[in-house]
Amino acid sequence: MAQDGHTDDLFSDYEIAPEFPDEMFGCDGEPHPQCRELWAALRAMPARQIVAMQEQAERSFMRDGITFAVYGDDGAQERIIPIDFLPRIVSARDWRQLETGLAQRVKALNMFLADVYGAARILNDGVIPVDMVLGCPQYRVQMRGVELPHGIHVSVCGTDIIRDGGGFKVLEDNLRSPSGVSYMLANRQAVKTGLRDLFRRHSVRGIEHYTGMLRQTLADLSPRGNSDPCMVLLTPGIYNSAYYEHMFLAREMGIELVQGSDLLVHDGHVFMRTTGRLRQVDVIYRRIDDDFLDPLVFRPDSQLGVPGLFHAWRLGNVGIANAPGGGVADDKSVYRYVPDMIRYYLAEEPILANVETYLCRDPEHLAYVLDNLDTLVVKMVGESGGYGMLIGPHASRAERSAYAERVREDPANFIAQPTLALSRAPCLASGRAAPRHVDLRPFILQGRETRIVPGAFCRVALTPGSLVVNSSQGGGGKDLWVLDEPE
Amino acid sequence: MLSRDAEGIYWMSRYMERAGHVARLVLEQLDAVQDRPLGAIERGWQRIYTAMDRSPGGGELIAGGENVDEMLLDAFTLVDDLTFEPSNPNALMSCMAQARENARQVRSVISHEMWSCLNVAFLEMRGVRLQDIWIDQPQGFFRDVASTATTFSGIADATMYRDEVWHFFLLGRSIERAQRHLALLDAHIGLFPTEERHWVFDWGSLLRVCEARGAFRRVHSNEYPPGTTVDFLVADPALSGSIAHALATVAAACDVIGGERQDEPARIVRRRVGRARALITYDWPIRNAHDDAATRAMVKALLQACLGFHTDLEQAYFRYAVRDMSAGQSR
Repeated sequence: MAQDGHTDDLFSDYEIAPEFPDEMFGCDGEPHPQCRELWAALRAMPARQIVAMQEQAERSFMRDGITFAVYGDDGAQERIIPIDFLPRIVSARDWRQLETGLAQRVKALNMFLADVYGAARILNDGVIPVDMVLGCPQYRVQMRGVELPHGIHVSVCGTDIIRDGGGFKVLEDNLRSPSGVSYMLANRQAVKTGLRDLFRRHSVRGIEHYTGMLRQTLADLSPRGNSDPCMVLLTPGIYNSAYYEHMFLAREMGIELVQGSDLLVHDGHVFMRTTGRLRQVDVIYRRIDDDFLDPLVFRPDSQLGVPGLFHAWRLGNVGIANAPGGGVADDKSVYRYVPDMIRYYLAEEPILANVETYLCRDPEHLAYVLDNLDTLVVKMVGESGGYGMLIGPHASRAERSAYAERVREDPANFIAQPTLALSRAPCLASGRAAPRHVDLRPFILQGRETRIVPGAFCRVALTPGSLVVNSSQGGGGKDLWVLDEPE
Repeated sequence: MLSRDAEGIYWMSRYMERAGHVARLVLEQLDAVQDRPLGAIERGWQRIYTAMDRSPGGGELIAGGENVDEMLLDAFTLVDDLTFEPSNPNALMSCMAQARENARQVRSVISHEMWSCLNVAFLEMRGVRLQDIWIDQPQGFFRDVASTATTFSGIADATMYRDEVWHFFLLGRSIERAQRHLALLDAHIGLFPTEERHWVFDWGSLLRVCEARGAFRRVHSNEYPPGTTVDFLVADPALSGSIAHALATVAAACDVIGGERQDEPARIVRRRVGRARALITYDWPIRNAHDDAATRAMVKALLQACLGFHTDLEQAYFRYAVRDMSAGQSR
């Protein structure tokens, strides 16, 4: 008991809702077996001590500049992604399922990209509507006929996973420039330092080798095949919202962090401008969008890219991760067909399910969506980061009506999904544990082999009841503990 | 190393050095405001603004005021201009913000400790206004900034790997230091001619701004005679704030970053540094130390050389034309 007479048990006010699975507790209120020790230890710990640890971690994030930029009316503001100090646990068995499911999915997505820019068998066989793929704004005609070494289009993938009553499901594949891995590592460092005894007792699998694995994955793309390729990370610059992550990854991998103006193409090769000479670049980990990559091929007004880069890449003189044109595979409409891709290319059943998705381009689906807006989440195909979507149950009648009008005007630009019973996990709120919705974003690396660190950026909707976990919309993060296999 | 990183390091280093210099200038002037005659205080302001080649926001500085309240009001306005005025590129906050922006650009090549030192100092200063610190010990604020600049430099010394990054850091610090000290020296001699009865306070404060007063006392005296003071600040190679020391550091850094490069842009940098050093080695000692005009002419020549270093470095290392480098391509 605290001195003021109130109980100091972190979980004294915690409520289990039968409609939402909980990452720590079962429906009966008892902790899951893998969470028992954590729960007991947290209960025994003074709540104010955990709150103090969390505040200390956030101060240290600010001091160390572990921030991202949010753009508003008053320009860019540097903010930290708030950390929630209560870890989420994933059992070894659950992780095994996720790991194999993710590897399967990324393999199929890579085969899909190689196919749609090559023979287009999957389109000819009618598995996916031709117009959906060829009409997708992210489909790059310039990529047609490009054959990549090892067929790797997507080297780095961040897949958003949710859990509802039916188990793990894939919410979204991020195949262009998935971010968040640096926050995964920063959260781990902070929580490991704060809860060091608990951490040790749980046999949590390490994630610190991520940047080593990323470096190896990128090196696999080197066209010269040399043992020490010259690799760079191409950033849009310090005003990009993920600049901290770009800097962090470059520093940890020991490679140069470059901007478009640092690179030039000469004689079909890419060079970077150093103080001593021009140095040939073998691999570019680009964190800028396709549109800005090369003004001679994509947007001519791009100031961020490198003129001639696409040509040098097509000649096979430089590796680029991820390859241009990957956006067609993480399009919100094409997403619906990923399970079909897995069956088509791998002749396997998908290990991880999709969330049911209605394509408003289909008149039947459109009619259903418009009739059931109050129960659905509707998203714009071309948007990300939680922007431009309608969460039906939380929207007013007027908002739904206005949104329906937009859907009718351009149905192909919208998809809808049922409002998910997203799982919840205990989070610190006003010094107590309170349930908040969570998802997780593991990172899959595809080089000559598939590499996945046992961890993820676990995102939290910090506002009570909110289903939006995106950092740009006020979401936070928490450490994900993947437990080691029992001996 | 990447040219843009080299330029970022160089400017980060320059801006931190400048922030420390401005903080010490203001600190000295705030001390003067406490107990110096009004005329000396006015000359102190003129020294600062002449050295910065700037007019305060409200117009020209006019000597001859006799009202203490007005003087204090002026002091507030001028300190604000030197510290927080956004349109003043040499204002302390501008320097700190620029140093941090450059540090953000090069975070992947500087040490974590350097970034933390700079970031924490900036975050603590951000949002501070002069009225917040004016009543309650403004000196503490400027002392903290000066101390941060010195600490930052020390952390760099303790944590940086001695590769090109380090040498561009040294270049920025040394060129900025030489440039600021020479401009200040020129302004000081113009306002406090050596033939006038010299005031210990004024020459002592000059040494303090250049972080040289303690060393001067040990090597010479606590009288601060003008001729000896100027010689000490310009030509004593053992004084880390001297022009001779700064130029020696620049020369050594240029030798390292230039390596075996024999192209014209790299040669131009070395040539200019060599000429400036020769001025101190061969011409400085034989001038008439009581001839202020001759001294100032040499100070100006050295200042011109320092201004030229920047253009030379830019052309040789930061923004060179690609055709100059085609022979040096590495595959």
